[in-house]
Amino acid sequence: MVAFVILAALLLVAGIGVVTLRQPVHAALSLVGAILALAAIYVTLEAHFLAAIQVIVYAGAVMVLFLFVIMLLNVGRTRTPSLTWLKPAAWITGALSLVAVVAVVFVVQRPLPEFEVINTALRGGNADAVGEALFTDHLLSFHLVGVLLLVGIVGAVALVQQSAPAKQAQSEVSAAQPEDAPELVAAGEGN
Amino acid sequence: MVQTEYYVALSAVLFALGGIGVLTRRSAIMLFLSIELMLNAANLAIVAYARQWSAVGAQHALDGQAAVFIVLAIAAAEVAVGLGILVAIFRNRVSTDVDELSEVRA
Repeated sequence: MVAFVILAALLLVAGIGVVTLRQPVHAALSLVGAILALAAIYVTLEAHFLAAIQVIVYAGAVMVLFLFVIMLLNVGRTRTPSLTWLKPAAWITGALSLVAVVAVVFVVQRPLPEFEVINTALRGGNADAVGEALFTDHLLSFHLVGVLLLVGIVGAVALVQQSAPAKQAQSEVSAAQPEDAPELVAAGEGN
Repeated sequence: MVQTEYYVALSAVLFALGGIGVLTRRSAIMLFLSIELMLNAANLAIVAYARQWSAVGAQHALDGQAAVFIVLAIAAAEVAVGLGILVAIFRNRVSTDVDELSEVRA
């Protein structure tokens, strides 16, 4: 119960941050915090595989995509203040994590428990169990999601890439903004 | 073991927060972030119910977790396409304010 209260408070604070913070970068980082808290809550719900996937897919892939797009859209508009404390803080954080990892590896000599023990402890939702559900009862949905991801990839590339004539026009006219408009309309009609 | 009701209540609060974000923010990026929050809230409810099912020993207790896995994949696809649309819009009009993007209305 204590763990739940702490994690729920973290999650709600991060969620409020996502909704209220002014800078998109701050809101995105707040969402990363919410996602990590949610992953920890998944662990308390015995969904260990989902917790790992949540961290890898959401906090890793999706949020990096978000941050890249925010970076792309904010170019030249916001002036970042010079953060002089950032570099020493980064060095100190890195050194502390290195010390922590070395300490855990060399000081704590406790061996891992047997495979069977780990497996029964994680039985509520390890990759084995979730994979079995996914590849037997939900095989059709799994395949459909694969097709959906392919469509997503193709759609994202098709939306973002510029066609060759438009790119040529853009390179000829340095002020590029109006040149793109007819191309997008044509692409929309093609779909 | 924390009761399932608490998890569902947390999920509801989070979903409402995301909904408030979608309704009040104007930047399209912030809308996407809020939508992600709502998707995560729904996932939390599904995982909580899956735990409840496996606690009572139901047959297909892990169906909920499989569903969350699929929702995760769909969210990733949605983000990729949505951010692609956003970049395309930004190229044309250097703004992502959704109130200014009202030409599509009938």
